[in-house]
Amino acid sequence: MARYILRRLISVIPTLIGVTFVIFMFQRLIPGDPAVAMLGEHAAPENIARIREQLGLNRPLFLDRDSLVQGDLGGFFDSQYVRYLSRLVKLDLGNSIHRRIPVAETLGLRFPATVELALLSMLIAIFVGIPVGIISAARRNSLIDGVSMMGSLVGVSMPIFWLGLMEIMLFAVILGWLPTGGRLSTGVQIQSITGLYLVDSLLTWNIPGFVDALKHIIMPAIALATIPMAIIARMTRSSMLDVMQEDYIRTATAKGLAERVVLFRHALKNAFLPVITIIGIQAGTLMAGAVLTETIFSWPGIGKWVYDAILGRDYPIVQGGTLLIAIIFVFFNLLVDISYAFLDPRIHYD
Amino acid sequence: MNNAAKTLVRVDNLKKYFPIYQGVILQQHVGDIKAVDDVSFVIYQGETLGLVGETGSGKTTVGRTMLRLYEPTAGKIFFEDTDLTEMQGGDLRKIRARMQMIFQDPYASLNPRMTVGSILSAPLEVHGYWKGREKRERVDNLLEMVGLNPDFVNRYPHEFSGGQRQRICIARALALNPDLVVCDEPISSLDVSIQAQVVNLLEELQHKLGLTYLFIAHDLSMVRHISDRMAVMYLGKIVELADRNEIYLRSLHPYTQALMSAVPMPDPDAARSRKRIILEGDIPSPANPPKGCNFNTRCPFAKEICFEQDPDYREIKPGHWVACHFAEDFL
Amino acid sequence: MAEITPQDLFVTDFAVREHRSLWVDAWRRLISSNTARLGLFIVTVFVASATLAHFFWTYDAKTDLDYALKLKPPNLRPTEEISTIHPFGTDKLGRDIFRRTVHGGWNSLRVGLVAVTISLVIGVLLGLLAGFYESMEITQGERVLLQGLVGLSLGGIIAWIGAQWVIALLFGLLGVLSIVFGKFLAGKPVRIALFALGGLLIGGGIGLLGAPMVGLVCGLLGAVLGAILASPLTGTFFSNVVMRAMDIILAFPSYLLAIAIVAFLGPGLEKGMIAIGVVGIPIYARLARSAVLSVAQKEYILAAYSVGEGHDRIIFRHIFPNILSPIIIQATMGLAGAILSAAALGFLGLGAIPPTPEWGAMLGDSYKYLSSGAWWAVLFPGLAIMFSVLGFNLLGDGLRDALDPKLRV
Repeated sequence: MARYILRRLISVIPTLIGVTFVIFMFQRLIPGDPAVAMLGEHAAPENIARIREQLGLNRPLFLDRDSLVQGDLGGFFDSQYVRYLSRLVKLDLGNSIHRRIPVAETLGLRFPATVELALLSMLIAIFVGIPVGIISAARRNSLIDGVSMMGSLVGVSMPIFWLGLMEIMLFAVILGWLPTGGRLSTGVQIQSITGLYLVDSLLTWNIPGFVDALKHIIMPAIALATIPMAIIARMTRSSMLDVMQEDYIRTATAKGLAERVVLFRHALKNAFLPVITIIGIQAGTLMAGAVLTETIFSWPGIGKWVYDAILGRDYPIVQGGTLLIAIIFVFFNLLVDISYAFLDPRIHYD
Repeated sequence: MNNAAKTLVRVDNLKKYFPIYQGVILQQHVGDIKAVDDVSFVIYQGETLGLVGETGSGKTTVGRTMLRLYEPTAGKIFFEDTDLTEMQGGDLRKIRARMQMIFQDPYASLNPRMTVGSILSAPLEVHGYWKGREKRERVDNLLEMVGLNPDFVNRYPHEFSGGQRQRICIARALALNPDLVVCDEPISSLDVSIQAQVVNLLEELQHKLGLTYLFIAHDLSMVRHISDRMAVMYLGKIVELADRNEIYLRSLHPYTQALMSAVPMPDPDAARSRKRIILEGDIPSPANPPKGCNFNTRCPFAKEICFEQDPDYREIKPGHWVACHFAEDFL
Repeated sequence: MAEITPQDLFVTDFAVREHRSLWVDAWRRLISSNTARLGLFIVTVFVASATLAHFFWTYDAKTDLDYALKLKPPNLRPTEEISTIHPFGTDKLGRDIFRRTVHGGWNSLRVGLVAVTISLVIGVLLGLLAGFYESMEITQGERVLLQGLVGLSLGGIIAWIGAQWVIALLFGLLGVLSIVFGKFLAGKPVRIALFALGGLLIGGGIGLLGAPMVGLVCGLLGAVLGAILASPLTGTFFSNVVMRAMDIILAFPSYLLAIAIVAFLGPGLEKGMIAIGVVGIPIYARLARSAVLSVAQKEYILAAYSVGEGHDRIIFRHIFPNILSPIIIQATMGLAGAILSAAALGFLGLGAIPPTPEWGAMLGDSYKYLSSGAWWAVLFPGLAIMFSVLGFNLLGDGLRDALDPKLRV
């Protein structure tokens, strides 16, 4: 078992190396010179050249043939890619070209916003999706089943940004109950401990802060939760149905056990494995930040931040942010793989 | 009967090992599953050689390796004096036409998305002798030969019963006029009532077309019925090979004797008076065969030498081969 | 035992079922499902309206402009103020939203089809080959190709350092030689040493033409490459490389990758199609590969082998038709997803260039006006997206039930 986990961890390494390479290549390939983007198109050529030198943009991309020909082995390896990798290893993500703030710092500020949103959405998705799935399976082909399955299909078919807009339209514009965006209303302060405003406000017993944060987060969270909720509900239902066909369930019922006992003690445990897989995958997707939701609700998370950076040719942000997102994604997939080994006693990888 | 007959197939010291890999970063070759471990035999033209053994004895692997469906790890295979072992490409394909196989599972051995007609034409197309109308006639011909209505040529396999599907498999095996047909447990997944029909069909075809069979099975009474000679395998090695009657009545290996004692007899009195040899224990793993004779973990007659030395596979009587240190004692 | 002759067995003819081809069977099952019928209906309406509108109801996006009608609510009857009917209202440039929505369908349909085709063709091909070479023994000819290519490509790197392209060719040759020598000294360190030496000579010898340092580096790298080429590569190696590449693509959340690709390629609906298509490739590759792995175990593949069928025939006549079902289902769902992705890209301002009518772009244009009350500009395009995607999802669901192998006897 430990060997399996170790093997999975090691197999992730080439993928991560490939990811860093792809990220590096990509924003080098995007047309547009960051020095020009920073200084403006009409800046003097000497200034542009100076900035390029500063940013290391005039070193060759991968390897320097010419230094090698001159016998300079060190110079051979001094290239953009190598510098990038060596900084990465030191966890130095560089500074934003446009704002001159270290990337890692901004990441630290914006990441908790995404985490909070993702967490709340997942919780909603799980606590609504799973019960709906169970009830649908238990009352198969009834009205509840039909409605919830159709509902989940609709949920999966709706564009998130549109759902968000509809929410804003209904609750913010027409009814005026909830704010249209942002994380907190102006003037509201919450002491930052974990970076998660809901948690922090409770920890400091800041009830007005809590309410305000809740009002701001509830709409994007519901919008974001819709798709995972629908998928979890469907998966729970189909997995439960598969398990309920098995003979050991029939035996339990024949023994005279109450339906609820049969359902929860016997069926659910075994039906859970595929559901856990789905939850893991969805969590990874959400954690990676939802550009669209963040755009509509002006939510200060990493998704929108990276998106803006891609368009603005702000290389360090793109590198750092994308890397973080990719790592989270890979990490969650890895978690899901490893959880298999623990959850299903039949599976034995060596 | 056989000594003057022509040798169709000869297998010398055939080995087929399946490597086992283990390791965290780089997979290392830590051992092998010795499915076929130094097997030698001869099949004469026109005969039926029965090959029996438990699950895991390697009999299926022998059949498949002989046909080059698996690459042999070591040893040689000769078909009519032509060395098959290293052949590639076009030559191999031509020889393939002369040795065909019938597989065990009639459900899995037919492509569910192809009509019976296409399944049977496939071999004809690959070898290119038959074209157009001749091809269609040949397909109809094949269906009739196995007792199926040629009108069913456009049906799909799922529309047939198990016995009928096996007939289609037989028809496919015969499509290229082979000399040798390896029957790999052809009746094991059929209903008992159908088994007899299929075996009779096989016998009739052998008689009509002059076929040679390697009949692999674990149903001893059926194998007895159809075989001229029989070979018994255990854990990758042949433990005994002889004429059918010799094996049944005068077997010289303890394993064969145990097997024969378990064959059901229709006469209740004879059955009652027969001594039943029951083997203790399970077959050891083919990845880790015991030192000495492979059978020493279960043999009721095992002596010290059996745990030290692997017995030679020797011809103890003309036409009767055994691999046991004490075979003479049973004569 | 009485001899039963084959002739007597015609009696079993009656046991055979009524003849139905497999696809007809599946179609019947599809039609009988309510959800599938609904899905089919929606899809037909969508495709029909989009196609008919595109070919018969002309619309020139560039000239459609009327500031006087800016942001008017829907009206079903002409009034003194507004002389024309606008069932869905007008947008910020006074354009009729209904008309743009119907025409937008054509763009969404196009994007969906092209994107899915790209993902499918490339993904299935890769997955098919990966799965196949993982299960089957690789022939000598294919092995020569693989070794040669690996030698050529890795040798190319060394060749670039040494600035002598002939190095790449020589390494390709070295790879092929490895096959030619076949079993000679197989697995022994002597062989690895020999090939490493060869690599050293090729890299170092020719690299020296540049400069001593170059020769040194090339020589060392060449020795390593030689050692790798010494043992013939297996089909599993090829499969692993392909699936790793897929993993790397999958390591990025799809929206991020799509955005990055569009940023690289530039705006435009066609670029959006490519981006969405590329992002989808690994899904089909994984699907195809796992389907191939399960089919390749079946005995009819072995039977095809024993009859003498070559790899090409086995792949296309035996394996491919049997992996179609999950691919078709995925393609239908994938179409739904592609339409959603296209809308997302359009919303963000990537993808469709204004003034092309595209549902996501229409939403992107109009959502700022939501707070001033222009709900119609946001509601209707979104509904259009939702319904078309729903249609494909329903259809896909129905297909999954219809093509379910468990139902097939």
